Amino acid sequence: MEVPPGPRKNARGLKSPMRLYEYEGLDIFEGFGIPVPRRGVADSTEDALLIAGEIGYPVVLKAQVLVGGRGLAGGVKTAETPEELEELSASLLNSEIKGLPVHKLMVCEKADILNELYMGITVDGFSGKPVVVVSTEGGVNIEETARTSPDKITSFYCDPAFGFFPYQARMLLRRLGLSERLLTLFADVLVRLYRVFAQFEALIAEINPLVVLKTGYQGGLLAVDSVIEVDNSALSRIKRPMPELTERIENPLERKGREIGVTYVDLGGDIGIISSGAGLGMATMDIIGERLKPANFLETGGGITEELLYKCMELVMMKSDLRAIIINIYGGINPIHEGARGVVRYIKEHKVKLPIVAKALGNHQEETWEIFRDGGVHVITEAPTEKAVERLYELVGEE
Amino acid sequence: MSILIDDNTRVIVQGITGKIGSVQTRWMVEYDTKVVGGVTPGKGGSTVEGVPVFDSVEEAVEQTGANASVFFVPAAFVLDAFYETVDAGIKLIVVVPEHIPVHDVMKIRAYALEKGVFALGPTTPGILVPGKGKMGIMPGSLFSPGRVGIISRSGTLSYEFAGILSEKNIGQSAVVGMGADPVVLSNLPDILKLFEDDGETDAVIIVGEVGGMQEEKAAEFIANGMTKPVASYIAGRFSPQGKRMGHAGAIIRGSAGTVKGKCEALGTAGATILKSPIEVLDWTADKDIH
Repeated sequence: MEVPPGPRKNARGLKSPMRLYEYEGLDIFEGFGIPVPRRGVADSTEDALLIAGEIGYPVVLKAQVLVGGRGLAGGVKTAETPEELEELSASLLNSEIKGLPVHKLMVCEKADILNELYMGITVDGFSGKPVVVVSTEGGVNIEETARTSPDKITSFYCDPAFGFFPYQARMLLRRLGLSERLLTLFADVLVRLYRVFAQFEALIAEINPLVVLKTGYQGGLLAVDSVIEVDNSALSRIKRPMPELTERIENPLERKGREIGVTYVDLGGDIGIISSGAGLGMATMDIIGERLKPANFLETGGGITEELLYKCMELVMMKSDLRAIIINIYGGINPIHEGARGVVRYIKEHKVKLPIVAKALGNHQEETWEIFRDGGVHVITEAPTEKAVERLYELVGEE
Repeated sequence: MSILIDDNTRVIVQGITGKIGSVQTRWMVEYDTKVVGGVTPGKGGSTVEGVPVFDSVEEAVEQTGANASVFFVPAAFVLDAFYETVDAGIKLIVVVPEHIPVHDVMKIRAYALEKGVFALGPTTPGILVPGKGKMGIMPGSLFSPGRVGIISRSGTLSYEFAGILSEKNIGQSAVVGMGADPVVLSNLPDILKLFEDDGETDAVIIVGEVGGMQEEKAAEFIANGMTKPVASYIAGRFSPQGKRMGHAGAIIRGSAGTVKGKCEALGTAGATILKSPIEVLDWTADKDIH
C-alpha cells in the first residue's frame, strides 16, 4: 500500500517536537561551552557576503531547513571567493530542500578536518530512558555505519533520574577504543551535550559531525552541525528564550490548526476529516484511503467545546474543492453534544451545502445525533467507521 | 478474577475537583466503580459526587483503604502527584492527562518500576472491566461483559473496537488503554502478559499504530509462547509520516516503526492481521470467539 504524496508530518502533531534550526542549536551549544565554528546567519546574499568577509574565505554555506539529509540533497556548499559565494548564495536562497523553502543561510568558517565523530542523545520510547549514542565514524553515512560496522558505534541507556556523568562518558568512549586526550575532549563535549538535552527537555540532541581538527583549535574538536528537537509539552517551563513554535509552521492551514489547538495536516485530496483522536483519525484515513482521498487530517484530542468544533469546521472549509466532510468522534472525555452544536452553528451561519457524515458514539450520543440531524448532517449510529465511509461513497460517488 | 480491576479495587480520583475530574467521577460512580475518595491539595473536607475529598494521598489511603488511583491532575503537576501516590503505597495508577513532558514521564516510569507499581498512560483512556468498574474516561455504553481482551495505544480506537464487538454481542473481559505518548508507563508486552495469564480472557486484540517499537516487542512476546489467539490492527497505513531530523533514533531502532514492519512482525509471530477495524468480526467468527 503506497502512502499518498503530500506534506509528511507526524499524525500526532501536537506531540511532535519543536525543531530548532542548526544556527539556533549552535548558539545553544556555544552557551554550554561546546566548541563551535565562527558563523553568521544571512537571509540575503548581501548579508552572506558581509559575514564571509568577516570570517575570511573559504566559507561553507548551509541552507537552514528543518529536515534531515540536507547535505546529500545539495544544501551545503563551499565558496572559495566572493564571486562564488554570490552565485551559490543566490541559488540556495531560491531553492527548496526536500520540499522546504530556504529562507536563511548559515555562513561559517571551513574547518580543517582530520576526521569526523558522531554523538547523539535521544529518548528511547520502549525503555523510557535517554540513550547516548557515539561513533568514531560520523558524517552523512552514520546510519549506514550502524548497519555495516556496528563495532564503530556504541550506546548507553541512562537512568533518567540519575543523569549522565563524566565517568560514564569516559567508560562509553573507551569501548570505542578512544584514549588519552581525544577521550577526555570527547567526554567533555558529550557531558555538555547531555546538559543541553536535559535543560532543553530535548527528544533529540545531536552533533554530527563533531570534527577533529588538523590544527589545534579550542582543544581540537568542533561541533559543525546541530540537531535539537524540544518536547512541545515542556516548552512553557524551559527557562530560556525560545522561538515561537507557530511561526515556523510553513503551511498556513497547519499554522491555523496550531493556533486553535488541534492537529491539522494538509493533504492533497478532497474529503475533509474531523476526528476526536489521532488513532481514530488515522483509521478513518486508512478506510477512506482505499477509494477516496483525504483533504486533511484533523484531530482534536480531548479538548472539544462548541467553539472548538466551530473553528474546526472553519479550518476544514478553508480548503478549496472540498467534496464532503466526515466527522468521527467519541464521547469519552469529550462533550460531543457541545461539539455538535458548534458544527451545526457553522453549517447554518454559512449555509453549507456540502454533504457531511458524522459518526458519534459515547456519552451524550442521543443528544448529539439530534443536534446533527437538525443541521442536515447524515448521522451514523453504528460503531464501525466503515459504515460512515460507506455513506460517504453513496453521497459523493467514487473518483 | 479480571485483570487490574476486581471487587477489591478501591479507587481514588486525583484532581477530583477539576472540571474533567468531577464529571468523570460521576461517570465512574454510575458505572459502579468503587470510588472511595478524591484528592485535591487545598480542597480537603469537601465532597464531589458524594465522594470525600482529601488534601493528600496519604490521608485518603488512611481514611478509605484506597489501593488504586486515577489521575486528572494538570500535566505540570503529575510528576509530584505520581511520586506522592507511589510513596503512599498505591500499586495501580492510571495517568489520563495528555501533554505531560516526556522527561517527567521517563522519571515516573523509572520510579514505578523501582517500587513495583503498575501504571498506565499518559494520554490513556484508562481501564474498563465490563460489569466490574472503570478507571478513566471510557464511555461505558460501548462495552459489554465477555471474554475478549483489548489493548489499544489509541483511546478512541479502543472504543471503536469495543463498540464493533458489543454490537454483535461479543463481550470484553477488559479494555486497556496503553497510552499514546512516546514513552508510556507500561509497555504493550506487559499488558499482553496480564491477558495471557487471565482466566477470564480467551483472545486478545492489539490496536497499534505507526511509530515506535511497541508492536514489534509484542510480536516477540507472542512468538515466545503466547497461547491465546491474537488479532491486530495497526492504524496509519495511509498516514503521512514525519520528516526525520537526526540519526540517533534510526541507529538504535533500526527499521522498526512502519505499519508494514509491524504487521509483518506480528503476522510472523502468529497474530491475525486486520487491515480494517471491521475485519475483527471475521476473526471472531473464524476463531469461534463469542
